[in-house]
This record gives sequence, structure tokens and C-alpha cells, in this order.
Amino acid sequence: MSKVYFSTWKSEQINNIGKPEEAWEESAYKLPMQYNEHSDAKAFIGWDGVALYDPEVDVVRLATEYAAQYQVYSEACGRCAPGRWGGRILYDLLDKIARGEGALSDMDHLKEVARNMQLTSKCEIGKTVPNPLLDLMTHFEADFLECINEQKPSKHYNEEVGYIAKITAPCMDACPAHVDIPAYIEGVRDLRFDDSLMATRQTMPLAHTCGRVCPHPCEDECRRTNLDEPISIMALKRLGADYETDHGFGFFHPEEQKPSTGKKVAIVGAGPAGLTTAYYLALEGVHCDVYEELPVLGGEVTVGVPEYRMPWDKYEKDIEAVKDLGVNFILNTRVTADMMRQFETDYDAVMIASGTRISKKIYCDNERPEITGYWGAIDFLERVNLYVKFGIPLTEEQKKEYAIDKDYVDLTGKTVVCVGGGFTSMDVVRCSIRAGAKRVVMLYRRDEKTIIRNTTYEEYHEAVEEGVEFIFHSAVQRMNDEDGILKSLTVDKFELVPDPDGGRPQLVKIEGASFDIECDYLIPAVSQSADLKFLPEEWELEMTSWATLKTNGKDYMTSRKGIFASGDCEYGPMTIVNAVGQAKRAASVMARYVVSGEVTLSDDEVMEDQLRKMRVYDKNEKVTGWLPGLPRQHSEILDVDIRKLNNMEVNFGLTQEQAIAEAERCMRCYYIAMVAQ
Amino acid sequence: MSEMINFTIDGRNVSAKRGETILKVARREGIYIPTMCYLEKTNPAASCRLCVVEAEGVDGMVLSCQTPPTEGLAVITNNNVLHEERTNIMRLYDVNHPLECGVCDKSGACDLQNKTLEFGVDRQHFTAKEQSRKIEHWGVINYDPNLCIMCEKCTHVCNEVIGDDAIELKFGGYKSTIIPKNSDHLDCTFCGECIAVCPVGALVSSDFQYKANAWELERIPSTCAHCSAGCALEYEVKTSGAAKPGEERIFRVTNNFEYATLCGAGRFGFDFDLRGEKDGKKFVAALEAIKAADAIRFSSVITNEEALILQRLKEQTGVKLYNEDARLYREFVTAFKTTADGHAELATAADLKASDAVIVIGSRIATDNPALRYAMTTAARHRGAKIVYMHPLEDALMQNTVTQFIKYEVGTEEGVMALLAHSLLEGVETTKTTAAFLEALDDGYLSAESNVGEEELARIKKQFKRTRAKTLVLGSDLFAHPRAENIAKLAGLLARYGGYRVVVAARDVNTVGVSLICDLDVDGGSNENVVGYNAAGAFVIAADDAADLTVAALNQQEGTVVNLDHRVLPLNVAVGFGGYVLNDLANALGIGKRYTVDFTPELPAEAGFKAVAFDSLENFYSPLGEDSRGYPLDKGKKPAAQQCEAVEELPEFNGTVIYYCDPVQQFNAFTARTAQLDKATELRGSEQFAVAARLKDGDLVVIGSGETARERTFVVDASLKGTIALEPTFDRGIAGRKTAYRFEKVNIMKASNDE
Repeated sequence: MSKVYFSTWKSEQINNIGKPEEAWEESAYKLPMQYNEHSDAKAFIGWDGVALYDPEVDVVRLATEYAAQYQVYSEACGRCAPGRWGGRILYDLLDKIARGEGALSDMDHLKEVARNMQLTSKCEIGKTVPNPLLDLMTHFEADFLECINEQKPSKHYNEEVGYIAKITAPCMDACPAHVDIPAYIEGVRDLRFDDSLMATRQTMPLAHTCGRVCPHPCEDECRRTNLDEPISIMALKRLGADYETDHGFGFFHPEEQKPSTGKKVAIVGAGPAGLTTAYYLALEGVHCDVYEELPVLGGEVTVGVPEYRMPWDKYEKDIEAVKDLGVNFILNTRVTADMMRQFETDYDAVMIASGTRISKKIYCDNERPEITGYWGAIDFLERVNLYVKFGIPLTEEQKKEYAIDKDYVDLTGKTVVCVGGGFTSMDVVRCSIRAGAKRVVMLYRRDEKTIIRNTTYEEYHEAVEEGVEFIFHSAVQRMNDEDGILKSLTVDKFELVPDPDGGRPQLVKIEGASFDIECDYLIPAVSQSADLKFLPEEWELEMTSWATLKTNGKDYMTSRKGIFASGDCEYGPMTIVNAVGQAKRAASVMARYVVSGEVTLSDDEVMEDQLRKMRVYDKNEKVTGWLPGLPRQHSEILDVDIRKLNNMEVNFGLTQEQAIAEAERCMRCYYIAMVAQ
Repeated sequence: MSEMINFTIDGRNVSAKRGETILKVARREGIYIPTMCYLEKTNPAASCRLCVVEAEGVDGMVLSCQTPPTEGLAVITNNNVLHEERTNIMRLYDVNHPLECGVCDKSGACDLQNKTLEFGVDRQHFTAKEQSRKIEHWGVINYDPNLCIMCEKCTHVCNEVIGDDAIELKFGGYKSTIIPKNSDHLDCTFCGECIAVCPVGALVSSDFQYKANAWELERIPSTCAHCSAGCALEYEVKTSGAAKPGEERIFRVTNNFEYATLCGAGRFGFDFDLRGEKDGKKFVAALEAIKAADAIRFSSVITNEEALILQRLKEQTGVKLYNEDARLYREFVTAFKTTADGHAELATAADLKASDAVIVIGSRIATDNPALRYAMTTAARHRGAKIVYMHPLEDALMQNTVTQFIKYEVGTEEGVMALLAHSLLEGVETTKTTAAFLEALDDGYLSAESNVGEEELARIKKQFKRTRAKTLVLGSDLFAHPRAENIAKLAGLLARYGGYRVVVAARDVNTVGVSLICDLDVDGGSNENVVGYNAAGAFVIAADDAADLTVAALNQQEGTVVNLDHRVLPLNVAVGFGGYVLNDLANALGIGKRYTVDFTPELPAEAGFKAVAFDSLENFYSPLGEDSRGYPLDKGKKPAAQQCEAVEELPEFNGTVIYYCDPVQQFNAFTARTAQLDKATELRGSEQFAVAARLKDGDLVVIGSGETARERTFVVDASLKGTIALEPTFDRGIAGRKTAYRFEKVNIMKASNDE
């Protein structure tokens, strides 16, 4: 799918040398074809081969430069003997050949050192750097020999040619925030928890949070899976954060805060996206004012995610790390269109990170929000969490609206039905159990396997243990009320009917299988939408078909210059780490924008996006040099009989011994990718 | 699931415990796998890659130092392929390594030298651009980056075992070095453990550098004499053949760093020995003094054998024996045992190391007892131990180990211990009397007076919720406390009902031994008719040149001590002594033996000693780390059960308060006279203290009045907080050291210049 002149990428053997361009065979991979924002690449070289897009590429120089990149990398590492010295020798010898001073024996020494590195290096980078070099030395041996035999420099040795390299890893690539996962795991393995935390905070300020409630897409692309089971990546993040908190250190920021640039940014919303934007802009010396509608900071993670999954005292530490950089928070302030207009003049840029806070309807008959007992998931969780975490009681109107006589959400003796299947619905049903509900039912249109895939195995099983009834392949057909008070639901049952044409199986209602559930509450938790009424209409910001703010997904600027958007209000309801990843990138773009007025991506960011498109993880790759069969460590969780009665944190996290054992399973799958101009 | 994993190494059937790595099992089985960076007491650095092995059915080479085996695995530790790659690694290590073995301190004991020979690397196989780098001088430590092979042992040990976390890697690939962490100079406690673990000559003692070659030194295994930990060490002296005349001295101290750890005092404070000469007049004077004495006052910096001689003297002549340090320790431990019932056995430093929950109370532990600090560092790093540090003064050295600091008011230790018992035993089944006792405690009052809040106690419980091995460390502030007995009894309740093991951090090297051997009398404090033995008296016999009779120091004697682990440990003669020893006096008094160590088998069996001759005591760790030093005491008799007393009014310490506490590396008059150890004799206080006492940094002050008045320079220590100043005692000489409650209300006056 990529037009190449020559490629050995992932062992493919594409050789169009000497063929007319129309006859070129294509590479099967989405290789990085861009050099930077402005020009195309002439070659790509990486851990698993090399691809040339242009016959003009100087392969000897390319090999030398790739080895030089390893030198640059190893200057950030140098943690093993073969890598430390081997990398240096590779470069010295290749450069000697390229400048026309090489000897034939240098080729042999190169192969010897390469083999030693491939077999014994500490991390994949040392093991894989020799791969494309050996490919080039094999397939273009004549070019190398010409330099040696004629003692002349390679064809473009003395010309100015640009090379851009990036370090990646399958897990880093999969993480929306591109957290340097191998580095923070190495910090745990080395028992240098401060280093671990600083590695995390390079791209992820919410270490406590994403050490607990991240759906960890990284673990789906952990290379250890090819050997046995993925590393417990998420849980290892907690150790650095706990170390900082437990010992009362100040905050281990990834780098020193830059002096003030005199620039200011307004941020709408203090959730994960808002906090992340503020953190990285503040590190760059940009002043941030964060406007938050709620009386508390943290957005949906605070008022949506329950205490038993994400204890406030830990999230608060993550937020304090942001505050530590001088970020200004303005609470209880709902931003209006007028304010937005004012922001545009008062600030150098604006970030909209207002999330998706409107619970969508489930579209059943008689679905009238005014029926007592109909309670949107977002609102329900907010009421629960504000009381549990901050002791904020229900107002008299709220008590009346929800038919609750206590100061807090007390569901004693009540039946709660939740319609959902994602994380929010899990939070609803498990909070309902903790609020004392007599019966808690989750209705889900699809099956058990799908609900696990949409949430996590642990989340689903813990909910089942706590007594939540799951009714699969079901949907509410009608709300039945008496005088505006919910009494029961009529529920339809469905079955999966295979598509005779081989398409996706269809859900078909089973006639006559419908039934009624008596209940006091129906909590729709199917999805959320963004509330963007505060945007000035005349701005006519471009929207997606999902009614979220449209950006190009790379620089996160909306259709209006200087107005950026990230997190759920841009992407639609998604994960914390997704919001962090978007906001981190946006902050980087904004930091440049407020100074230069231009919206640009750095070379590193261009490469990051290209690699993600290509995908670093290869589930079919065979892993060598590691012993298979070492089990993944599982953290202990609070006993169900204890946890269902209170809001104590369910997951204890890994013990230190478990964490160390788990960290030692990490294979440090760093790779270097490089493009040539 | 079976606890043991069965597999084979080179065809031999072996089995691994859960968590044990392939390398560990191989070593246990005596199968050799080469390493350059492996250090037993830390997590594997995994930097050298020499320990790679092959395993049947597994592609590539597997790192044995950090990989646990799987059931049925067949490991191959050596073959041509492995040998070739290991040889290549050694070739890489040797690239540009300076050829200066002739002058390198490490030569002859160098891992790089050994492995280079082993793999037959006889020339530089690969080349890379040479670099010239500056040698760093960090006080007692010199670092030569040109020699450094970046094995990372030093950084691991500093962070994981010591807790200073003072050095780190400066990443730079081929240019990588070790640098001080967060500082441009090395800011640490100078334990020198980094020197000990360095496999090459990169980190060396600046005092020792260029003084001797490894093969010229004789190694004399002994026990450190500076604190109650009794750490293993080896005094290295020049053998008579290689020594120049007059050169008979200790050149350096080394230790078995794989399994044992030394602090700076042990490593650099070795030259406290004396020349000594036999002066008949002084000897007679000493004899007369003893005969006329009502009492002998002695310190715990003596051997068991000396203690036994003194005890025999008492039995023969009825002379009283004064040693408040050992007496108060003994009373404290006895009181603890009266309430601890079946849980009275004291815990060891090894137990502390294996803990996951620790409460330290009544000690500035990092300087009082570095070995216990290291045990806690290990527990914190490797086991994630939660460590609660309770004291009126915070200690910056402990910050990266301590997970909760609780400050209590000076003097309220009894109340604090009662609060701990009350809080930690809540909901625990005890006896009716104990339950009633705990119930009756007025925790409102105790909290208010001690300043230990309910929330803080609740946080301890929250932190400890998942912990399984809990240890209470009781420090020497408590032993001389007026309410020491009840404090100990309250701690006994925590041992009996709370599942806490208890470490009693005795002060001196032989506090424990003396407390077991001597029948001690209460010391009234007067010097009249008192002979001092390494202590104050009208006539002083001491390992001190200024004494009325000079005797041998502990690095010049054979004998034994009992450390806080209740282990009997041998001391050996590192340097000869020309004068008299206590046994000579004993002989003159008719109770002596041919050699002092002839008393060793006669140490009291009822206190747990064995009838073992000194010469049959071993002093080493086995290659697998088994402790073969001396022997552990048998369990002593348990005293009759008693009840705790009611906790009454807690004392108040208002005004200017000082805490007697020595600086890092200093313990007593012996450490005070060594050449390399830092001797900070200043009164140290926080900014806050300075403001309250109206003092400025550098002021000369007079502390106390009358006989005890002393002048010191006051310095502001930015790492301190609060209103208590620290005053050292190590510089008061052998006679000046007292045993008393360590906080004292004093007057501090600025010494006026015109006087």
C-alpha cells in the first residue's frame, strides 16, 4: 500500500531496482512516507527493515545515520554493555566506510558486533538496530565495497541531507498519550520511583488516575502478549505516583518549568483534557486560566468516576501537580458565549475541553424526563460523587425531583434499572449497590463478551460479584408510570441472527418474550453528548456528524483560528487517556501558536502520527530472547462483602514484590524509526 | 500450585522457590554463570548481559539474573555460542579501558581483570574513539569515569540499601558516567558502600588510594565496634613482610558487600587504636584504685570477656558495677517481656528488613543506628514497606523511606505508646484486664498533650491495612525516660496482641552483652571512689591516651560482643597493643586467666551464651549469604507476667530544649579520634530555633551552666524544622558521655566576646 523502490520491511522482499516506475511492486505496509510537514521522505529505516522510495538514496550514508541515531538514543540510555560500546562501534565503523576510509575487516567487525547486540542487548533497540543495517549491507553490498575498495566517500556523504528519527515502542504507540511506558516500568524495576513518575509525566500528568482507571489500550498492543500475557502496564504507573505522595515530596515534574512567555490561554473545563492542556502549557511558560462550571475540579473523573475506583485523595494529588505550576482555576463558572467572545480578545488562545455531559435518551416509548424515577447517568453519578467525595448534600429541589428523603442518594429498598454497557453504566450500577438498592439490573443490547470488551474483565466480574443482575440482549420498550411516577419497564428480548450474506449478525426481537420489571429508577447510560450551547453562534464552528467540535485530529484547532478543542467534546465520549493524549498534543501546538501565530506540528509529531498509522505492534512477530510462561501479576482486590457496603478503593494495586516481578517481565521494546529527506 | 518449580540446569535436576531466579538457583547449586553487574542485595541492574543462558525450546538468549525459571525448563549455562558472546561482551568492556593496572587500587581484586583473563581477551579487538575524562574528588571518595564500566552497582546500592539515593547515572551511551544526584557535589552520608561494591577501580577511597596493593594486605575479620549493630568488617593491614617499619596500621576496612553493609563510621573510622606501653607505676596505681574502689563505672564499648572479668571482680570483692546504658536497656527489655508474654523474643535487623510495616519511635535512627536505617531502606524499596517515624524531630535523611512522620511533644513518649496501643489494638481480642486498661486510657488527654492526633493514628491503620510483617523499633530515647518501664510494657501489648515484632535499638556495641553478663547497680553519678573503665571515674582506665592507665581499644583485642540481633560476635586484633589489658589487672587480683578470651566459654549459660571457645567462633558469610558469624544466643528466661501501669500526667518541656544526638558517622570518643570521619561539633538548630533563641548562624554559645556548661558554635541547619536543637556528645571524651533522657531543657547564652 506504499509505493516503494525497495523494501525489506517485515521481511518483505520488494526490489524494483531497475524497473520503470509504473511497474513497481507496492509494499504491503502503510510506511511513513512523509519527511516532515512540508516534504516527502526518500527512505524509511527502522527496527524491522528498510524501505527506499527513491533510487537516489545513499544507502551507506543511510546506514551510518541510523547508527548515529542509535548513538543519540544510547546517549539517553547506555544501560547495557553491548549497547553502550556496540552502538558506538557500529557508528564509528560505518562512518569510516562511508567517508572512504574503511577496510574489508570493518565489514566483519560490524557483523560481529551486530550479532552480539542482537543476542545480548538489554532492550529491543539494541537488538533491532543492527537489523536494517545488515539488510543494507547484504542487499547493497556493492555500494559498501565500492567505498572500501576505492577508498572514496559514499555518493552523498558530503551533502546536506536531513534525517529525522523517533523512538517508539508498541505500547507507546498504542497509548493515545504516547506515554514512555518502558521508561516508567524501568523506573519501577530499578526501584527509582521518582524517575518512573517523571517518565510518566512527560506526556501524562494524571499518573494516579491513569494508574487506576485507564482502560489501558497499551496492554492490547503489548509485545509480551506474543510470548505469554501482556504486562500489567497500567498498574505499574501507580508506584511512582504513590512514592511521591507517600513521602511528601514536592512534585516531580518531567522538566523544569520554563520562564513566563507572557502569553495567556483560557481553558474551558477542568477535566482531564483541560488539566492536561494547562499542565503542558504551564510547563512551557504559558499562563492558564481554567474555567470550571462545577464547584470541584477534575471534571467527569471527579463527579462521574466513583470513589471506590478513583479515590479523590489520589486524583487530588494529580490536580495539585497541575496547580503547582501556577495554573489558575476559576470554579463555579459556566462559560457563556459572551465570555467566549471576550476570551478571544483577552487571551492568546482558547482551549475548549468541556466534555460530553448530557446523557442521551434511550428512545423507548413514554420516555419523558419529567417522570419521577427517570434519572440521567451523568446527573446520578454527580449527585452520588459530590456527596461521597465532598459531602455536598442534595438540595431540597433535588430531593423532590429524585424522590429521595435523605441528604444523599439513598436507594434502600429501591430497584434500579440501568441501560448501558460502557464504563458509565458500570459506575451507575455499582454505585447503586453501594447506595443500598434492593435490586440492581443492567439491561444491555448485546452479550457478555461485548460488555467485557467495552469495559474490562475486572469491572464486569466485580459488578456481578457485588450482585448486579445483567440481562443481555435486552432493551426497554416502554416506561410505565402512574401519575408521573415510574412503576415499571416493559423490556424486549432480542436474539442474534446471523446474516445469510455473511455480514454482521443482526439483533432481532424475540416476539412474545417481552417482560415487565417493576422498578423505581431508570437510569439511561447509553452515551453522552456535548453541551456546546456556550459557543458564539456567529463563530459557526464546524461540527462532526456526532455533534462534537471538528478538528483535523492532529493539531486540534477548530475551524476558528486560535480556538482549540480536545477531549470528549472533540472526540465524543471516550477515555481519560484519549483526552490526555489529545490535550497533550494540542498544548504542544498551542505553545508554539501563542508565540508564532502559526499552527504547526513538530517533526516528532508528524512521525508519531505516521507510526501510529503504520502500527508499531505486530501481533504475529515471534519474540526471542525471553523466557515464555511467566505469569502476569494480578493485584488483590477488596473482598466483595466488605466493598459493596462502602466506597473503599476496590483495587489495592500491586504489592511491591508483584510490581518488581511484573516490571522484570517488560522487554523494553524500544525501536528507532527514521526517515530520510 | 506447587511452591517449588522443578527444572534442570546443564542437565542437573534443580528446583526454585517462588521468585527465585535462574542465576540464584545456579549459584545455590554451585553452577557458575559469569556476571559483572550482579549484586546479591539489590535488584539486578541487568547491565552486563554476561549472565545470558540458553533454554531448550526458547529462541535466543535469556538473562538469568532476572528471570525466574518455568516448570520443566532445561537451562544451558555454557556452550560455544554463549562463550563467544560473553567473550564479545568482555571485548567491549575492554575497549579503551585504561591500561593502568600497575597503579590501580583495584588491581589484584578487580572483576574486570579477572574476567578479561577468564575470557582470554588479550588485545583490543574493537576500537572506538578514546575519550579523556576528569577524575572527581568527592571527599573520602574519588571517582574516575575512565575506569568506570557502568555496571550500576553503586547507584543501586546507594538507593536500595543505604537510602541516600545520592548518585545516579548520567546517560550518555559511550560517555555515560555516575554523577551526584541533584547536586554538583556529592551530598551523602559517606557510607562508602559505593566503593565497596565497585568491581573496578572507578570508585575508591581517597585516603587509601595509591597506598597499597590488594595482595599486600592481610584481611582480619572482625566486628565493627561503633554501634549495637555489630556489622561484619575486615580490617586490612599490611603484613609484616610487605610493611615498612612503623607501618603496622590499618590501611582500610572492607566488607562482604554482597550480604553485609557498613556505614561510614565502620568503613572510614578504623584508626582508633593506640600504641600503648607497659608502665608498671600506672599499673600498680590502677590496681590500688580498684582495690580501694566502691564501684567501677564502665561503658558498653567493651567485650563480653571484659564484662565478665568485672562481674567476677564484683562477685569476689563486692565492688559495685555501674553502667547505666546497659542497666536501663536491660530494665527496658525486661519490662517489655513482662507484658509481651509468648511474643517476647526480640526481632533482628533481618526481621526489620523483611517487614512491610514499621513504626520507629524514640530514636534519630539514621544516625543512631545506620544499620537499622539500611534495613528499613531495603524494606521500603524492595517490599514497599510503610514506615511510620514518630519523633519530636523530623529527619531529612529518612524522607525517602518514611511514609508518615508523626511529631510528638518531647517527654510524652509514654502517652504516645499508650495511644498507639489503644489505636492499633482497637477491635483486637485481648484479655479482660488489658481490654479494661485500654478502655480506661484517656486518649483525649493523651492526644492533646502528646500532639498525636486521631487522624494520624487512623492513617497508620489505613497504611498498615494490607501489611503482614509488622515491626516496632524502639530507640534509646525511651530507655532512660522516667517512664521507661511502662513504655516498654505498653510496647509489650503491641507485641502480644498486635502482631508486632519489636527491635530494641540498643546504643553501644555491647550494651546487650553487658546487660546479660553483669549484675549492675544503680549509678548515683558521683566519681568519688569510683574507678572508670572506659568511663568517668576518680581513676580512669580506658582505651584513651589521656587515661590514668591506657588499655587496648576494641580493634586491638580478641573477644566477643553481643549485637542487637542477640548474636555473639568475635572481635580480632587488627593492630597490636603494647600496654596492659584488663585481664592483666584481673590476674594481679587473682581472678584472671592466661588470655582474655579464655573467659569466652565461661560466659553465663543462663543468659543464653554457649560454652564455646573463642578460637572456634567463625566470622564470615558463606558464599550464599548464610551468616556464620559467632552464634546466636539461646533464648533467655522470660520474666513473670505483669500489667501495664496507668498512664498519668505527661510531662511538659517548655523553653529551650536540646536533643543529644551525634552527627552522621559519629558515635563516641573512639569515632571522634579517627582521621577520616567528619567531626561536626556544632549545636545545630532550625531557622525557627535560631529566631526563638535569638541566635545567628555562627554564634558562639554557652550551653547549660555550672559544671556541665560548654561552649559550642551554633549553626542553622536548613534541613531541620521546629524548636529543638541538636547537640553532639561524641566529642565529650570517654568520661564525658552520659546516659540520660536525650532531651533536655537548657539555657543557651550567647558567649559574649569581651569575656
